[in-house]
Amino acid sequence: MKERARAFALVRHGVLIVWTLVVLFPIAWMVMTSFKDAGDWVSWPTRWVPFVDFEPTLLNYRQIFYFGGSTDTGALRREQTEQAYNIWKATFDSVVIVTISSVLALLLGSTLAYAISRFRTGGPNYPYTILTVRMLPPIVVAIPMLIYYASIPYFFEWLIGRRVEFFDTYYGLTLLYIATTLPYVIWMMLAFIDEVPRELERAARLMGASRLATLRLVVFPLVASGMMVTLLFVFILNWSEFLLALTLSQPKVLTLPVLLNKFQSAVEGRLYGPQAAIGTVVTIPVVIFGFLIQKHLVKGFSFGMIRR
Amino acid sequence: MADSPGAAAVSGVAAPARRRRTLGQWLEQERVFRVIPLIPVQLLILTLLFVPFVLTIYISLLRWRLTRGFWTEAPWGGLRNFLDALTDPGFFDAIGRTFLFAGTAVVLELLIGFGLALLTYRSFRGRRFYFTVFLIPMMIIPVVVGYDFSMLLIDTGPLNSVLSALSGLDVRVRWMSDYRAAQAAVILADVWQWTSLTFLIFVSGLVALPVDPVRAAQVMGATRWQVFRYVQLPLLKPVIVIAVVIRAMEALKIFDMPMLLTQGGPGNATETISIYLFRNAWIFNKISYAAAASLILLVIFTALIYLSIWLLRRERARLEAEAAR
Repeated sequence: MKERARAFALVRHGVLIVWTLVVLFPIAWMVMTSFKDAGDWVSWPTRWVPFVDFEPTLLNYRQIFYFGGSTDTGALRREQTEQAYNIWKATFDSVVIVTISSVLALLLGSTLAYAISRFRTGGPNYPYTILTVRMLPPIVVAIPMLIYYASIPYFFEWLIGRRVEFFDTYYGLTLLYIATTLPYVIWMMLAFIDEVPRELERAARLMGASRLATLRLVVFPLVASGMMVTLLFVFILNWSEFLLALTLSQPKVLTLPVLLNKFQSAVEGRLYGPQAAIGTVVTIPVVIFGFLIQKHLVKGFSFGMIRR
Repeated sequence: MADSPGAAAVSGVAAPARRRRTLGQWLEQERVFRVIPLIPVQLLILTLLFVPFVLTIYISLLRWRLTRGFWTEAPWGGLRNFLDALTDPGFFDAIGRTFLFAGTAVVLELLIGFGLALLTYRSFRGRRFYFTVFLIPMMIIPVVVGYDFSMLLIDTGPLNSVLSALSGLDVRVRWMSDYRAAQAAVILADVWQWTSLTFLIFVSGLVALPVDPVRAAQVMGATRWQVFRYVQLPLLKPVIVIAVVIRAMEALKIFDMPMLLTQGGPGNATETISIYLFRNAWIFNKISYAAAASLILLVIFTALIYLSIWLLRRERARLEAEAAR
């Protein structure tokens, strides 16, 4: 019996280690490429070991951060594609749009979730109706939005005599991100708010607290951590969003995923190194946020349906 | 539901003074809390989803291309765009391909995820480490995953290199330029990323299973397989269904990975429906046609969404009944 247990443990570790390697391989490769100079990006036989097979360099990072300021030889040729190195601009755009839309979605969604949880706002089917918004493929939203955003300036011109653009603007994309992440916020916050016992609120009300005070002093402290989790989750979703940003913004507003895609469509001379550096930089905050809310990830992805 | 007694008393006693209610009194009404949060959300959905939708129906009946002025000048086309879409084999091929990719990827993700979850859900040395590592892929941005795989899968890239080393042959799979290999590459990338989610869902489900039925079965002399097959699996069914529905609906949206990996190519090997519509609207500027095609897609998806929401509701109710017991 003991031997069987040991054999099982061995098999288990064997399988799990294989999958660990599968998971880590692409990540390790990207990080490694970000430290390689041009000659080492693509080579056969493959250059695996740092310091032995290739000399690690910070060139890629310097290139993406110092917008063409590098004077190293070998970098000159790469500078010709400097237009792709808009990483500061893209980071700024991403941070602004994603932060504002996530915070607004959180505010709108969590107050509505409270109303749904306590007063059954919108009826029992309402949360599911909201869910359909999220299940639509983004392309089915993007094409109407293209038509809509293309028409809005004309509408405003007719209305107030001035064109107001929505296409390729910060607010145009922000509004869309709010709408597309609201279902997640509402469902996650429903899960958190349902856990707050109503008796607490009733007790506060009986003791003479106003509705607003009850909300602020009783409910809010209990769901604050849940709101933080939801905020980070929605932040990750928006940070990763690609299709809507690709189709409805650009070139004036440029988010990080779209920037990465620009490299990809370069016809000749793929810049694997700088691209890997950008990929690594972009991924780090998301992985940190992801691990901060690790316990609640399942709640987020399952719309709060699986709660543990 | 009526207003709270306090608010009713206030408005009842001082009916003429109603207009001069203070903000505090106004906030004491239940309906304020019930209705106000709904307004901005409904407004957003109305202006951002409903109005564009109605506009799209109209545009789909025109023959408008972005390159030919504004749509007010476009000629009327009637149902022509719908007929074009319904008779275009490319449209249905793209839909079929999307379902093929999503189906294959989701099945693989479920099987691998479930297997890994079974091996990891009980505590043992090193569990935390594996658990942490297995979660990483779903936190990485899909665009980065697509790009990363495009680098791994170059003809002289590391994956072929590893495969050569493992098999002892000179493996040169042309991942990006071979029709079938490119399709496999897209599925591979999707499985790599989203197995982490099915794994997480299944671990959560397994950990949350009640202990008593398993104990009872063991006491009655059930083998490990019988416990799994007749006790754990039925109890786990709601979680499995939720995982299938959520993953399937997400997988059908697949766009980022084929876009980054192969741009839908070679030929149209990895052209999913999202890429097909993207190409028509943004590359060929056939807006009216894309509008019609996306409306057809919307009808298909509405049916799917209804089905999945029906399933989600049923299984959610079961989960809650189970938790309440």
